[in-house]
Order: sequence, then C-alpha cells, then structure tokens
Amino acid sequence: MTTLSPPRSRTAVPPQGSRGILLALLILAALMGASVLIGWLLSTLAAQVVPGAPAYLLLVFTVVSLLVLAPLTHRAFPWITNWFYLLPALVFILAFTVLPVVLTVNYAFTNYSGQNSGNPDSAARQDATLSSDRRTVTLSGLTGSAQEYLNCAAPNCAGATLVLYDEDASVPYRVKVASAQGNAFTLAAPTPESVQVAQATRINKISYVGLANFQEIFGKASRALWPVFLWTVIFAFSTIVLNSVAGLILGILLYNKRLKGRNVYRTLLFLPWAIPTVISVQMWVALFNQQFGIVNKSLGLLGIVAIPWLNDPLWAKISILMVNLWLGFPYMMTATISALSTINDDLYEAAEIDGASRWQQITGITLPLLRNSFTPILLSGFAFNFNNFGIIYLLTAGGPAQEGRESTAQSTDILLSWGYNTAFVSAGGQNFALASAIALIIFFLTLAISIVNFKAAGVFEEARK
Amino acid sequence: MTTAPNNLPPGNLPPGGYVHREPSALRKALPWIIGVVVLALIGWLGAALVDSLKDKQKSFSIYYVDRGWVRFLLFLLAASGVLALTSLLGQRIGMARTGRRISYAAVLGDQLTHLFLILVVLIAIYPLFYVLIAAFDPRNSLFAFPDFGNPNIFYKTGLLPDLKQLNLENFAKLFEGVTIPAWQLLLAVIGGAALAAVLISLIVSKVGRDTDALANVRAWGLRVLVAALAVLVIFMGPAQFTGGSNESKFLLSVRNTLLVSGLTGVLAILLSTTAGYAMARLRFPGRFQMLLFFIFIQMFPVFLALVAVFKLLTDLGLGNTFAGLILAYSGGAIAFNTWIFKGYVESLPESLEEAAMVDGATRWQTFTRVVLPLSRGMLVFIFLNQFIGTYAEFILASILMTGVEHWTVGVMLRSFTSGQFSTKWGVFAAAATLGALPIVGLFYGFQNFFVGGAVAGGVKE
Amino acid sequence: MKKALTILSLALLGQASAATITVWTHFGDSELAWLRSQAADFKAKTGNTVNIVSVPFGEMTDKFIQSAPKGQGPDLLTTQPHDRLGQLAAAGVIEPMDKYVTSRTDLDKTALNAMTYQGKLFGIPMFAEAVAVVYNKALVPTAPTTWSAFLAAAQKNTGSGKFGYLADLSNAYMQYGIISAYGGYVFKNNGGTLNVKDVGLANAGADKASAFLNDLRYKYNLVPEGVNGDAAKSAFVQGRLGMFLTGPWDMGDIKKANINYGIIPFPTPPGASGKWSPFVGVQGTMLNSYSKNKVAAAQFAKQISSSDAQVAFNKAGGRIPASLSARTKLKADPVVQGFGKTISMGTPMPNVPQMGAVWGPWSNAIAQSVQKSGQNYGQILDKAVQEINSNIK
Repeated sequence: MTTLSPPRSRTAVPPQGSRGILLALLILAALMGASVLIGWLLSTLAAQVVPGAPAYLLLVFTVVSLLVLAPLTHRAFPWITNWFYLLPALVFILAFTVLPVVLTVNYAFTNYSGQNSGNPDSAARQDATLSSDRRTVTLSGLTGSAQEYLNCAAPNCAGATLVLYDEDASVPYRVKVASAQGNAFTLAAPTPESVQVAQATRINKISYVGLANFQEIFGKASRALWPVFLWTVIFAFSTIVLNSVAGLILGILLYNKRLKGRNVYRTLLFLPWAIPTVISVQMWVALFNQQFGIVNKSLGLLGIVAIPWLNDPLWAKISILMVNLWLGFPYMMTATISALSTINDDLYEAAEIDGASRWQQITGITLPLLRNSFTPILLSGFAFNFNNFGIIYLLTAGGPAQEGRESTAQSTDILLSWGYNTAFVSAGGQNFALASAIALIIFFLTLAISIVNFKAAGVFEEARK
Repeated sequence: MTTAPNNLPPGNLPPGGYVHREPSALRKALPWIIGVVVLALIGWLGAALVDSLKDKQKSFSIYYVDRGWVRFLLFLLAASGVLALTSLLGQRIGMARTGRRISYAAVLGDQLTHLFLILVVLIAIYPLFYVLIAAFDPRNSLFAFPDFGNPNIFYKTGLLPDLKQLNLENFAKLFEGVTIPAWQLLLAVIGGAALAAVLISLIVSKVGRDTDALANVRAWGLRVLVAALAVLVIFMGPAQFTGGSNESKFLLSVRNTLLVSGLTGVLAILLSTTAGYAMARLRFPGRFQMLLFFIFIQMFPVFLALVAVFKLLTDLGLGNTFAGLILAYSGGAIAFNTWIFKGYVESLPESLEEAAMVDGATRWQTFTRVVLPLSRGMLVFIFLNQFIGTYAEFILASILMTGVEHWTVGVMLRSFTSGQFSTKWGVFAAAATLGALPIVGLFYGFQNFFVGGAVAGGVKE
Repeated sequence: MKKALTILSLALLGQASAATITVWTHFGDSELAWLRSQAADFKAKTGNTVNIVSVPFGEMTDKFIQSAPKGQGPDLLTTQPHDRLGQLAAAGVIEPMDKYVTSRTDLDKTALNAMTYQGKLFGIPMFAEAVAVVYNKALVPTAPTTWSAFLAAAQKNTGSGKFGYLADLSNAYMQYGIISAYGGYVFKNNGGTLNVKDVGLANAGADKASAFLNDLRYKYNLVPEGVNGDAAKSAFVQGRLGMFLTGPWDMGDIKKANINYGIIPFPTPPGASGKWSPFVGVQGTMLNSYSKNKVAAAQFAKQISSSDAQVAFNKAGGRIPASLSARTKLKADPVVQGFGKTISMGTPMPNVPQMGAVWGPWSNAIAQSVQKSGQNYGQILDKAVQEINSNIK
C-alpha cells in the first residue's frame, strides 16, 4: 500500500483541513494495521516452528515491522513525519488504553460476571455417555429439562454449547448441540475419535443484555449513583479548597524573608508529601482508631470526648478530608512559595510607598498574581482527587455503613471505589459487566466536568495556539 | 483593594498597559455572598458534628484532662503575652543597635508566626514520629494503650510507647534469611561512598563557594550511584531470599519496585517527549484534535478496565511478569506527561531552534540536539513524577502480580494490614520506615526539580 | 556401558514424569513453614516438586476466577473457606474431587458436608473454625456459663484502661452466634437443602439480636465504639482485657504473650430462644479444574489433610484439624478442646453461590445496628434483605 502513493502527495506540506486529518489517520491506521498483521503472521509462524514460543513475540515483531514500515511510508508521504513524533505515544495509548477501554465498553452491555464468564460450569457437571455413532451425548443424571440445564432460548437448544470431558477431565472439548430430547443431546457434528467422553457440562455464557446494566444503575440511583456522585464532587472540591487555603497561608507565612529558620520549617512541613501515600494513609487508620489511636488520646488531653473518626458516616468524611489535607498541603505550600518567588519585589515596594498595609499587599498583589499559577494546579488537583481511589480504599474502604445505601456504595465511597467494589470485592459478586457500565458513566461524568473546567480555564485556547 | 490590579492584563492589551475597570456591584458583592454561604455551611456542619457527639459517654480507655482545652487556650494566651514582651524587648534592642526604625507589629508578627508554625509542625510531624517509634516496638501494635498509674504524662495517655521495650525485632523479621553476596556488598559500598561524596560536596558548596570541581564531583557521584544501584537492582534475585515468611522478602519487594518504577519512568520519557515537542512546535492539521484525544481518552477510569487489561496481558503471555506491569503502568500517564512537556517546550525561546534550522539541522536534529539538552530538568521531573507515582501504586500490582517474589512494596505493605483476621502493625511500621526512605531521599535530593517541574508545566510566563 | 545407559534413561524418564504443582496459599509465618516442609516431604516421596506461592486471603478468590481459565492459575488452593465453594464451582474453576478421595472415614462429617455442593465434593477439608470466648484466667478466675455471670465478670473488669469483654460487634460473621440464638438464619434449611428464597436475617429474632448487640455497646457499656478484632487482641495480649470473642487464628500471638487463657462458648444471651451457635467455617484445599497435573495435585492435597500432617499443622498455627484421628491425638490441647466445643455447637456457613450476595448487605446492616444507640433495627435489616433478594433475583 505504500508503493501506490500518487506522486502529487510527495510534498512536505501536509494536506490541510479535515481532509488532511482523515488522510493522515488513514495512513497511520494502514501502517499500524500492516505492522500488527505482519507481527501476527510472524509470531504464528514462530509458534509453528518453535512450539512454546512466548506470546509476547507478537509485540516484538509488530514493533520491528513498524520500524521497517515507517521509513517506507515516509518516502511515500514526506509530510507524515510530523505524525511520527506522535507515534510512540499513539501506539501505546492504542494498545494499553484504547483496547482495554473498547473491551470494557463492550462488557457494559453484557452480563459478564465471575459466574457468567464463558467457561464450563463445574457444579453442573454430569456423567455422560457417547453413542456409538459419536453424535449423541446422554446425561443419565439429568433431572430437569435440557432447556433449563443449558439455559438456552429454544426448547430444543439448537446451537447451544456442551462441554465434554474424558475420565481425567484434563481437556474440555466444546461441541455444538443440534437438538436435545429429554436427557439426550444430538450434536451438530460427530465428535472425533480422539475425544473420549465421560462427563459433560454446560457453559455459563456471556450474553448481551442490552441496556440492563444501565437500567439497574439508574433504577437504584437514589441509593448509589447520586449520593456517591455528590460526595465525589464535594470531596474533590473541598480537598482542593482546603489544601490550597492551608498551602497559601503557610506559603505566604514562610515567604517572609525576615523569618529566621524558615527553611527548617519548610523542610519539616515537606515531609508528609515525600512519604508514599500507600504508607502514610494506612498509618492514619491506626492513628484514627476511636479508642486506641493517638489522635483521640491527644484530644483527651484537651478534654474532648473520643471522636468516632472512622466509625460515623459524617466524621469519616471529615477524616478523609483531613488526611487528604495532611497529604496535600505541602505541595500547595511549595507551589505557593515558588510562585511567589516569581513575583517582582518592586510591586511590593511600590505598594509600601503608597502606604498599603501587609494585608492590602496580600489581597491586592499576591493573591491576584497567584491566581494565574494556581489555576492549572487546582484543575489538575480536582481531576486527580475526583478519581482518588487510593485514599478512600486505604483509609475507610468506603465505610462506615450508611442506612439506605447499596452495600457497594457506602458513606465515603467515591464513584471509582463504588465501581471497584462492584467488580472486585467478593461481596459485590464480581459483577464485571455492571462495573464496566459504571466505568462508562464515570467516564462521561469526568468528561463533562473537565470540559467545563477546561473552558473556564482556557485550556482549549492554550492547546490550540 | 481596588487600587491594585485585580487581574493580570489580558493578552490583547498593549504590553504593560493596564486599563482600570470598576467591577460591577454584583461582582463586588460576590466574595461576601460566597463568604456568608461558606460560613453558614461550616456552621451547619459543625452543629451536625457536635450533635453526633452529644450522647457519647467518655471512653474508659482514654486519659482525660477535664476542661483541658481551656488550659490549652490559656497557655496559648500566656505564650502570646510572653512573646509580646520579648518582641518589645527585641524591637528596642534592635533599634538601639542598628539605629533604624523597626516596626513593633512586624517583630510581634514574626514571633507569633513562629509559635503558629511550631504548632503546625508538631501536629504534622508527630504521627510520623510515632510510627517511627512503633517500628521498634516488638508488641506489633500501632495502638496506644494508656498507663493510668504512670506519672509521666506521655505514658499515662499512651502517647508514647514504652521506650524501654524497644528493640530491633521488627526489622530483624524483614531481613531474616537474606543472603548478600560479596559483589553486591561491594556495589552497595561504592554506591554509599558516591552518595557520601555527593552529600559532602553539597554541604561544602553550601558553606563555602561552589566551584566547578565540586559540581564535577556531584555529577560523577550521582552517575556512579545510579549505575551501582541499577546493577544491584537488576541482578538481585529471589534466590537470595531464603527466609520462610513473607516479610523476609521485603528487600526483594523494594528491588522489584525500584526496577518497575525505574523502567516505567524511563518509558514515560521516551513516550511523551516527542509527542510533547510536536504538539508545541509543529503545526499540522490534526495536532489539536490528537492532543484532545490523548487527554480525554485517559480520563476513562482504566482502573475499572482492569479485567480487560488482565485479559490483554495474559493473552500476550505477559501475565504475572514485570514487563506486563511496566507496560500497564506506562500507558497511564502519557497525556499528563505530554501536556507538561508541551508546556515546557513552549516556554523555551524559539530562536535557538530557528538558528539551528538555519544552520541546516533537520527538525529531528533540532529536537535531539537543542531541545532535549535544554529540557534536562523537565525530563528529570517527568521521570521522578512517574517513578514516585509508580512506587506508591498497589492495586494494579496486586491484581496483575501473583506470588511474594513478584510483590512490590505497596502490595507487601498492604498484605501486613489486610490479613484475614490479623494485622501486623509492628512489621508494617518497620517496613514503612524503610520503604519510605528511597522516596523521601529522592524528594529532598531533587526538591528543586519537583517544585520547578510542577509549576513550570502549568505556568508560562 | 549398557547398564549405565539404562540407568541414565530411567533417570531421565523419572525426570520427565515428575510434575511441578503450584499451590496458592494464604498461610503466613509458621503455617507457611509447615506447608514448605510438607512440600519437601512430598518431593522426597513422589519426586514431584511443589511450588508454593503466597497470595493474600482476600485476593485469592477473585484472582483465581480470573486467572484459572487462562491457564495462569495454580493447581491447588490452600485453603479456601467453604462459603465460596458455590461461587467457584459455578465459575467452573474448581474440579470435583470425589474420585480422588477414596477414603473418607478419617474426615469430619460436617466438614465433608460443608465441602460438598450439588452432590459433589469440591475440596478436601483441612480445618474448621468457629469463634469462641477466650478469657484471661488472671482477670476472670472462674469461667462464666450463664449470661448473668458473664455480665458480672465483664463489668467487674471494665474501666480505667481495662476491658471486661470485647468483640468486633460490626462483623456479621463473628456475631452470627447471637443472631442464630435469637432465631435468625441466612437461608432456611429444609432438611439439608437451603432455600435461597427464604432469608431469615430480618425476622423478629434477628431484630432482637441486633438490639442485643447494640446493648453490649450502649446499655452494658462493655464494647466501646471503634473496637475491632485487632484492637481487642492487642488489649488481650497486654493483659488489659478479661474476655474476647475470637477464633483460633489469634491463639499464636496469645500463647506468645504468656497469658494464662481459657476458651469457652458465649453464654445464651438474655431472652434468646436457642443456644449461642456460631458460624462454622470449613477451609479446604481445592483443585483447579484447568490443572494439567490433577492426580499429583490431589495426592498432595490428601497428604496435607492426613492425620500426621494435621497434627503438625495444629502445632504450627493452632487451627482445629478436620482429620478425626488428628483431633483424637490432640485431645489434651486446650485450644483444640475449647474451639472443638464451639464448632460442635455451631452452624456451617451456607456454601451456595448466593452466599456471595449476602455478605455485603448483611455486614453493612450489622455495622449500622451498632453505630449509635437505639435504632430502628427492623428497618435496617429489612433494607438489607431487600438488597440481598434483589441481588439473588
């Protein structure tokens, strides 16, 4: 396909407009498609020649053929080099973000779960005998109807899958059923001689259920989606407000050049940021213990009763905000200090000559100038905390329990941890399909919020320029 | 307030020009409205919180000082009073010595700032100090039990574990059965020496004058340190860890984490720099759309696509391998790094590149010979940011990796606190202390890169 | 020369037939060491290598369901509790073991039943566990057998940094004994088959049980807020706690702390219709249905459940073996004796896959019931049962 290039495109100037974009994307798609195809062919060949060749050879061959094909493409379309700068990132995003995302979106419309995984069911396994013409399998122990057993739409189960096992149950062998009569299943084709049949079972298949998962989510929205979404927004918003206020105050205090030992304070206050969150958050779990944690012990010295930090739905939210403040204020503080150091001292001197007080200097000069540096930091902070699964999972695991909620969406669960509970916590039942639907909803919510944020902060203009 | 500019001059004004516009009444009232609403919300929240404590009886496991908060406030008041006096003294002495006018408010302000900062530092750092002590406590507990009979207030409240009981048992558990061959020891010594040389040269340069020789020592010291560490990390293997328990593999988990984080960091640079440069400098149709695509597609919670990631990696034969984990991590932050690098390149003067192009360099040569050397600081930031993010990650690692030989530090630490019925807080504290050291070291060693990078990515002057 | 060749080929043959089986285990410390020594024995006996891989308890089920069909799973799981059996079987990742376990006389009947689902044995039981009250003889000299004696002993020791009785009140598994004493149940047991349509966690008895749990905290002032199993154990090993509800898993730390302890069942709670009857969890070794070495793997599973191995296992971690002859050998052991009694009083956890839908809502309801004093227990439990029913469908 690279040799068929018309001579008129042998120019370094890319075609303009959306036609140009389309053409470029087409060429890149062809390039990558060809590489994957070659990679796949070569790796299949390698697997034929050397049995047990690792599957990741596919990746290796694909990358190699990409490296070979890219210069050829360049010769045909010189202007495509611009796109080659994007190629490493693009290839990676396609392989490790877009591909899983596509699979996940697909799952969102199925009933995929730990149980409905497309695999043979062990519990339903029955002794089976194969007729001499190798076309009929009889399950002698079957009590219910065949339709019930195979869970199929038509009463004769045409097209359903049956799994056959030999005595050792070593290799499952899948066969298609042509029709079922009582406990006898007629197969679509005779089983090969090499397959011995001692047992058989059904497949718990993954089937498309349309919008059922979304219906379920929105049907229970008052007990899961809405309260969780509300808390997610409050959590992300309060976190950045609290952190930036604390960071601003400390930063402005520490930027006072007269203050002796300010570097000592700065170094010490830097520490919470420097410790990996996986360590510090777990530590807070023990420190916040209502009876035995040192937080309440210290408050006891002030005569304050034991506060149920992690055991009360409202206090748990406060605890999360506090720990997040502890984790995040050093960053804001440091950012304030370094942003302040970019402000010209002349401004302050001028203000001082005009007789402005320190407070007036802060509100009149410092804060307005800081706003510019802070907007991107606050935006990325909001986006990060919106999906800050780590702190929720490690500190409260979504708890404590709250009345009137689904068990996967408790008082401090954010959208992401709700999805995680649905997919991976056994209590949620490994409902991968439902979790995928949740992921899709989270994606659109994040997208909507980000677009509003980006518009407000002028990110689009900046990106376009 | 209205005399100072309340906004930066927008770009369409003449340079340095400032046109004053009187804000509308609503605009002026807005901060007050917001303030009132926030106060009302805080009041409501406070009332709800206090209400939830209303009928709590006092816990019998906590030592209470009745009306302790009154005493505390009195103490603060007294301390402020003392500071007011000492400030007055200081101001007078200072004025007498220097002969200049010194504002009393400024001196007092500084003193009160010190008081406030000391309190903040105490509150922020004490938890860490407590965990550090608990790491030496063999009773395997981060819980504080009061000792009501003890006159010492720290023991009476349980704010300090019994210092007499402390020993190294928890640390010993982490290193049980670890065998270190001589060549690794040698490498560790070389690395240590290089680190010491770097530190000494840093101190010398801080105290005296920074010379080229010192800078050279630092550069080479760092290189040797990184090389020694890299060799150590790559060639340390599971066979060296003969201990039976899971915690005895702690050092191995540190090695695994360093390996994964390091390679992920390198990959992050490789993947995002060219894209960031193209987005910043090259003009071609589709560039803007591609940037938006990068940013928006990475808003999908890949975390919930883990089942698919798992399937993808196992189908590629990379299940339960570090290579698979690294690939999974590297896909995650491309958009962010690209954006940051794009912002940085835009802040560079374009004239340098133009000069190189005039001299006959191609785009690619300009990028590798002009832009990359200039952005060394940014590359360090991208690397460190990715490195540290990966170091603290544990969910992806715990789902993709199986078996203690493959655990990363995060997974190992999580396993101490999420046993079926029991948690090992003592071992956790010891492992946390050691596991945090590399990152704390990186943070303090590269402080400037961090702060600079975080701000530079967003701010362009 | 010929002879040497024959030996060589035989040796090679032996090499080729030797399998490597992989075992996932959540055991730690001394129990892990025990499993390693068993693996070494097995290697010496059969020539098959056993590769032991540590997987945290909480992750094992999910990980296994994900990786087994991809051929990435282990051959054996050591161990999984029987309430996950139905889920694992329906996912098709575990293999019926009936034909591998030929002799069952040495294994506890209840344990075997717990491991049986839809008439098939899906695991070789290794140990059973149930909670019991462990008390410190220095603080509680005579073991209380009635509720009033229990309350008196507990209240005597409560106050100024000491505790009379602690338990993780918000943990449904731990508190099931009280719920069943008042007449609550998970699924109605109709002569051996469980009716998953009949959930009894919100009946009148379950309401009373929630009220009693709440009373332990707010009326009798025994168990303060925020006490979990971890904190309770810490207090016990420091000698600050008279009695606490726990399972065999804490006994290692308690023995290490040199506490003079005793083990008793919880007394019949006031106004209850039956005896306290805790959940019995049976944990067993399960076989991967995608395993390539089923015979060897099953052989190892049988070895670690054999009488002698079980005695050593008990010595390592204090768990109560499922092997009857091992229990006889360990008769004098106070831990085996104490927990053995509560196991015989207990109710096995349901092993149907629907159990997966119960834990989440039910645990939350119990946790809510003890969050603050005087709540509408009926409403909380009703909501939970509604959610359970809608998840079961």
